[in-house]
Amino acid sequence: MTDFDPGRIERPDSSLLKYYVIMSVLTGPGFFILILPLFFKYETLRYRFDDEGMSMSWGVLYRREVHLTYRRIQDIHLTRNIIQRWFGLATVTIQTASGSSGPEMSIEGILEAEPLRDFLYVKMRGAREHHESDSGAQPPQDEALTLLREIRDLLRSRT
Amino acid sequence: MSSQVERATKWMYGGVWGILTQWFRVPDHPPTLPATPGEQIRSFRPSEGFLRYLKLQFWLTFLIFDALILIAWSAVTAALPIIGLWFAPLALTLGIVPGAVAYLAINLRYDTTWYVLSQRSLRIRSGIWVIHEATITFENIQNVTVESGPIERWFGIGNVIVDTAGGGEGGKSSHGKSLPNFHRGEIAGISNAAEIRQLILSRLLLSKSVGLGDETYTASRGWPAEHAAVLREIRDAIRNNIVTE
Repeated sequence: MTDFDPGRIERPDSSLLKYYVIMSVLTGPGFFILILPLFFKYETLRYRFDDEGMSMSWGVLYRREVHLTYRRIQDIHLTRNIIQRWFGLATVTIQTASGSSGPEMSIEGILEAEPLRDFLYVKMRGAREHHESDSGAQPPQDEALTLLREIRDLLRSRT
Repeated sequence: MSSQVERATKWMYGGVWGILTQWFRVPDHPPTLPATPGEQIRSFRPSEGFLRYLKLQFWLTFLIFDALILIAWSAVTAALPIIGLWFAPLALTLGIVPGAVAYLAINLRYDTTWYVLSQRSLRIRSGIWVIHEATITFENIQNVTVESGPIERWFGIGNVIVDTAGGGEGGKSSHGKSLPNFHRGEIAGISNAAEIRQLILSRLLLSKSVGLGDETYTASRGWPAEHAAVLREIRDAIRNNIVTE
């Protein structure tokens, strides 16, 4: 888990395509309707994880890109159905506080889903203490303070 | 005799459980949370009362369902005895098989549900075919609800529901499939609901954040010490001024 680097994740694993094929086959006659968009989604799916946030994009005709920062994550869900478990896949869905009740981002086709989830958990809102708020150690050098000092000196000089 | 039956069902259940963990990759250990050193992690299942509650529900529906089948079958047999005899095995299977499957599913549901609480977050795992794990930090919880029905109270259990900001009801996806509400975590069927609610609320109060957007509550700090010191000096200077004039 220590050598897990989410920055390496750019493309979903190839078993995601197999999973998509099986899911379309299970719908029976819907196979031909479903497999095309799923195939193109697999082919164009890109992930990017950096220090502050992550983004994913997919689509051929209608492109879609979702960006979000780690600090705005509210809940992380990890869902694995039986076929995904056979392939070692999982869907990590991420919620922010936006109005929709559905997920803002669902990351599919990641083999290292649990390390990824724990990585996001450590970065999400409320998983750690905010230390930056208590760092007011150095004296503030603001306008109000200089103004106050000037008033004081003026009053003193008058006496 | 009854102990033999009990042992046989236990053995069969163990077999089903083995198949699930081996072939269907159902994890057989409780979920964990990444913990900082010294952090206490508490994982627990729903209480025994929850299992009894589910079983009571099951027996009630099972009895009604089988009574309906029996009435239908007797009506057919009374009218046409030969067809009724032909249908007897079918009616018997209809009466037993769904019930047995549902009874097994209740036990499996109970055994696969886990709740994990750490110092900062909670994780809920549930499901057999689709395993769902939700992780919510206490800081993001907006409200905590405790619910229990009359029969649940009789079994001494309650449900703790935590909501985070965002969408309300579980909506419908564009394909018309109903989606679960992702902004909610349900700790169902626990005997110490009040204690868990109190625990979550106390952890919630520990966080300095006031809610969304405002990460820290700065307004209560008032004037910094340096400002106050200079203001005090000004007051003294004016006082001296008045005295000397």
